[in-house]
This record gives sequence, structure tokens and C-alpha cells, in this order.
Amino acid sequence: MELRAWLNENLERPWIEELRDPKNDEKKLFDIRRSWQAKLHESGYLGIHWPKEWGGRGLTVVENAIFAAEAIHAPPIASRVGINLLGPALIHHATEEQRKRFIPKMLSGEEVWCQGFSEPDAGSDLAALRTRAEPDGDDFRLEGQKVWTTFAPWSDWIFVLARTDPDDRYGGITFFLVSLHQEGIEVRPIRQITGESEFGEVFFSGALAKREHMVGALGEGWKIAMTVLAYERGSMSLAHLARFDHYLKDLVEGVRENGSLQRADVREKIARLLVEKEVLRANGYRTLASLASGQAPGPEASLEKIFWSEYSRRLADGALDLLGLQAHLLVHSPHARPHMDWAQEALYSRAVTIYAGSSEIQRNIISKRILKLPSS
Amino acid sequence: MQFELNENNALLKTSIREFLEKETPLAKSRPMMEETQEGFSKELYAELGNLGYLGLTLSESEGGAAAGVIGLAVVLEEMGRVAFPGPFLDLVLAGETLSRVKSQQASQFLQETVSGQKSVLLARSEALDDLERSVIQTRFDQDTIRGTKLPVPYGASADVLLVTTAEGVALVPRPEEGWKATSLPALDHAQRFVEISLDSPGRLLTDKQSADTILKEVDQLGALGASALMLGLMEGSLELTLDYIKERKAFGRTIGSFQVLQHRAADMWIRVESSRSAVYRAAWALENSLEEASLLVASAKAYCGDSARFVCGETIQLFGGVGYTWEYDPHIYYKRVKTLEQLYGSTRNQLEAALQSQGI
Repeated sequence: MELRAWLNENLERPWIEELRDPKNDEKKLFDIRRSWQAKLHESGYLGIHWPKEWGGRGLTVVENAIFAAEAIHAPPIASRVGINLLGPALIHHATEEQRKRFIPKMLSGEEVWCQGFSEPDAGSDLAALRTRAEPDGDDFRLEGQKVWTTFAPWSDWIFVLARTDPDDRYGGITFFLVSLHQEGIEVRPIRQITGESEFGEVFFSGALAKREHMVGALGEGWKIAMTVLAYERGSMSLAHLARFDHYLKDLVEGVRENGSLQRADVREKIARLLVEKEVLRANGYRTLASLASGQAPGPEASLEKIFWSEYSRRLADGALDLLGLQAHLLVHSPHARPHMDWAQEALYSRAVTIYAGSSEIQRNIISKRILKLPSS
Repeated sequence: MQFELNENNALLKTSIREFLEKETPLAKSRPMMEETQEGFSKELYAELGNLGYLGLTLSESEGGAAAGVIGLAVVLEEMGRVAFPGPFLDLVLAGETLSRVKSQQASQFLQETVSGQKSVLLARSEALDDLERSVIQTRFDQDTIRGTKLPVPYGASADVLLVTTAEGVALVPRPEEGWKATSLPALDHAQRFVEISLDSPGRLLTDKQSADTILKEVDQLGALGASALMLGLMEGSLELTLDYIKERKAFGRTIGSFQVLQHRAADMWIRVESSRSAVYRAAWALENSLEEASLLVASAKAYCGDSARFVCGETIQLFGGVGYTWEYDPHIYYKRVKTLEQLYGSTRNQLEAALQSQGI
């Protein structure tokens, strides 16, 4: 297979070895991700499910998932947020000029993006956001604060939801693309329970948001945000499945090694994880089929978000139960499992049910928009 | 893979739904379950035969509708929705078994099964715990079948039994004075389990080896069919629940407006829809004889079993006290899925099958 040969030739060492290398600090690791992305882009392997027009290969999400499975030992790309979330929003809502300006550099990794949605008092209740965009001549000046901004410490640009009308809860929100390399912006890393600082806070005090970088019309930000969130929630199962396949394989190897694979309790636990993984894949194919028939992701995306995020917790918890303290050992510890960082995964799995609309918000969406249960 | 039904299957769904909503809403079907000996309406089953539903998966040359595995899933899902009583899936599986036995006798009985003239049922189990048992005790010897089968769902109403024996599958027509059939009343009052002791004349249709091959295929179809039934049952149960919590008032408001109940309803819906994905993905794989079919069918059966138990149990809980009464319908759904968890490959056997399909 062409891709496998290419990976053999181009991947210097597995990502887990980079993580294990004490010389690699977080900054260094992010640089590795950036240059890996550039390599993928040059060879045409990035965003293979994107339209050809925008640098992809016009293939399906299924093929993208096959790619993800093959590349399971490669570093994650740097612009995950940009490519997976902002990308579809630009394709759906941006002007031709904006697409030409931003998409190529996003793909090449030259410009890394982060998402400026959540605020200290606007998380699950996103429409309560208060970051303001004040008119300044033709352009705008931003005042306010964003939080939980993934990759903020390493990013070059941020896409921001800002309030342009204080009195209109949904219609008073506008979507801007803003450079992080300017006066009036301060980024502070936030340390997570894993010890890393993958995300941060972004403070705006008079930062420039150019009118030419406004996506959609004034007040259309909420609508565009919904596109972003739908893509964030839906159609992602297949991408996660490549990871889950790899994880479950490692878990099975682990219980084989520790001699417990024939125990009935162990078998039942692994069987349920296997079965649920296939259900997750079935849900993913189903979303895919509806996207392929031209439907935009709707409230059904909440099903996928809940399923994959809660599954990732069950899988990691299952591994910690069945592998015991071996699964607690950090990647650079002696005796750690060679191909899998369960400790990191177990902690990270506590984030996935919170970000991109917490499980509780997803259940609100299902009960209101699908089951039509009455408001209180 | 497609999830949207093709034109034929969409039409099938509409027709069977119309039929069932007219003939067997629970108000009409509960007396069949509760007041008849057979537990279902023989007239309705004859009608299903006339309409071609009993030969749904068989080829047209066998008098079937060639609707495939997906078509079967569609019909069973609809039957589940209204908790349709009786041995529909069992008749289909008996037909599938006969169709795989290439013999003159088999095809004659197949015609009568498909047209609904005769009730042909499989009698296989010899124990109540569904553990893997490699040795079948029932024997075929000198044109006589001797042994005990239990439970045989709806076995008392059968005209012909297809009996698994150590020698292969045997065909046993109901003798003049009947079988020694003992009723086994169980948790699901709509079910009719019997224990049948055989010392009856019959004919061997296959040897042991081809019986194993045939029954393995029939088992896959049975597991898939039971999954589709459970999908429908949880759908029906969820519909009941939603109607109820949108109407019922407490503390001056409809209880469906309480977030705690909304989230529980959302969890039920997640189970229903995920089961739907699992069932139709497995049906697709089975219909197209894909290699992963055994994993997917086992996964669907195990997942639908766990999910149906959860969904139909939640229905009773959300109905509150009336959910525990005989009069209301939640227990009809709950009991049916509890039984289906055990039949057609119990959840724990399916979990093991899923592991083994992956060499684990």
C-alpha cells in the first residue's frame, strides 16, 4: 500500500517515543507535530477527505479513517482545531478571498488555529458570552476573555465569537478571525490534570479584528458557531475509532501478558468494550451515510458525541482495571507499556465529556430538539 | 453501506406497519396473549402467510419474497414496536432451515410453512441455561426420535417439529395423539414455553455435519432477527414513555419538563438509536455475506439485549406506580425483551462469540 510505504519512509520514530524522550518539552513536541503536518501536506496526505479545490483529495471520511488507522503511530497534526472545526465553517460560510487567504496556510501548518468560544461565564451556556467587538472605523476592537482555548499557547490565529449587540442574545454575536501576534492580546497557559498545558486563556484588550476577517455578516456568528459545533460533535466517531482500535488491541495484549485473558470477568469486560466499539463504528457509518446524502450534521450529532466520549472513558477505565498499576505508569517510567500511554488516556478521557458541549448539554439538545420534551 | 432503506424495504416498512397498527395494537393483541391457549391468533398468522411475510427471506422460486436480511429486520422491528405476539421469527427460522435442506420432503413442508398452512418449528434446546453444549442427547434411531427438548417456544401449537438429534436434523410430524408436551409458564406471560418428550416416528433430513453448517447460518439469522425485534420493542417502549411524560402532570407541570427525566429519556433514545445502527449494519453485513458478519451479529444481539433491558426497565420506572400494574402496557415490553436476551444466543454467549470472532 502506497501510504504504508510512505509512512515507513517518512516517519522517523513513533510518536510515543517522542513523548518518552526527556529532551522533548511541550514546545518541542508541538514543533514536531507542526513539521509532521507540513510533511503530510507536501505529500498530499493532509485532509484527504477535503475537496480537491482546497488541497484535499476529495475522498470520503471512511478513507480518512483508514488513513488515521494507518498513521496511528505518527504524531497528531498541529492544526487539528483549524482543520476539523474552522475548515468546514470557512468552506460553508466564508468569502472566496477569505478561503484563499486562510485555508492553504492552515493546511500547511504555517498558521496554527485555536478556537475562541468559551468564556469564564459562558461555557455550556455559550450564548452568554460577553467578549465585545467595538466598531473602530471600518474594523473592530476586542475586549474580553476566552478560556479553555485548546492549543492557545502554540497558535498563531484564533477564531472568535464576539458580541456586537449586547441586547440580542443570539443575533448579537459575530464570528471573527483574529491574529494572536499583535498588541492587546495576552495568552496564559492553563495547567491541566495531566500536567500539560495544552490549553490556555486568551485576554483581549483592544486587539484588532479586521472587517475583512469577519466571517458571514454582522450578527451571523451564532449560526456559524453551530456549523462548527456540529462538525466537532458529529462525523468524528470514525476518526476516534482508529485510536480506540489501537487501544483495545493493546489492552488485549496486556491481559494476555498478565495471564488473565481466560478469566470470565476479564473476558466479559473486554467483550463489552469490543461490542460497544462496533456500535460506535455503526453510528459513525450512519452519520457518514446521511452526510454523504447531502444532509448537514443536525442534532443527531449529539448521539455520536456522547457515545464516543463516554466510550473513551469506559475503555480507559477498563484498561486501568484490567492492567492494574502497569497502566498507571507514565510513558517514560520503567515497566510502562511500550505502545500505549494509558495514564494519559485515562486522565484525558475526563476532558472529552466536557469539551465540545458537555454530555449534559448534548442530553439537553436530544431531549429538546429530538424528543420535543417541553421546557420547564 | 447504506442506512436509508431502499425503495422495496421502505415500502415493506409502510405495509407491515399499516397491517400491524390495524390488526394488533396492544388493545387487540393483549387478549391474544392473555386469553388464548396458543398465545397468538392463528388467523392472523395465516393472513401473514397469504401476504408473503412468512417467506420473507426466501427466494421467489421457493414462494418467498426475497426481501433479504434487511427486509426481515425491517419487518421484525415493526413487530417489536407493537409487541406482536407469537412465533413469527421461529417460523421464519424453520423455513430457512427447510430451505437449506435440499430434499423433496423438505421443500414440500417448506411450501406449507411459507403459505401459513402448517406451523413448523425448530426444537433444539435441551437445557434451560443456554450454555454451550456440544453433545445432543436426543437420538434418531430406526425412524424414531427419542429425547426431551426444552424450552420449545410455542411448541404446543406446532404441526411439525424440526428436531436436532445427535444424527442430524429430523422432521417429526405431530402424531395423532399428540406429543407429551408440558407447559412451562415463565416470566413473560405472553410466551408459551413447553417441554416436549419425544418418542415419535420421523425422518432424518440431514446428517450431523450438514446440520451443523445449516444451523450455524440459521443461528446468525435468529440472532439478527432477535436484535431487530428488541430494537422495535425498545422503540415502542420509548414511544409509550414519551407520550406519558408529556401528558402526566405533577407539581403543577408536565413531568417531561423536568430535566432529570429529560436526560433519562435522552439516554433511552441514545440506546435505541445506537441499537438501530448496530442492527442495520449487521443486517447489511449478513445480507452481503461479509467476513465481519459474525462479529457484527453477535455485537448487535449483545448490545440490543443490554439496551432493551435498560430502555424497557426505564419505562416502568418513569411510569411510576401505574407502570407496575397489569393494566398498563410497559410490562409487556419489559417481559418480552427479558426473554429475548436469553433466546437466540444469550447475551453472555454472544459476548463470547464476539471475542472468538476476533481470535481473542
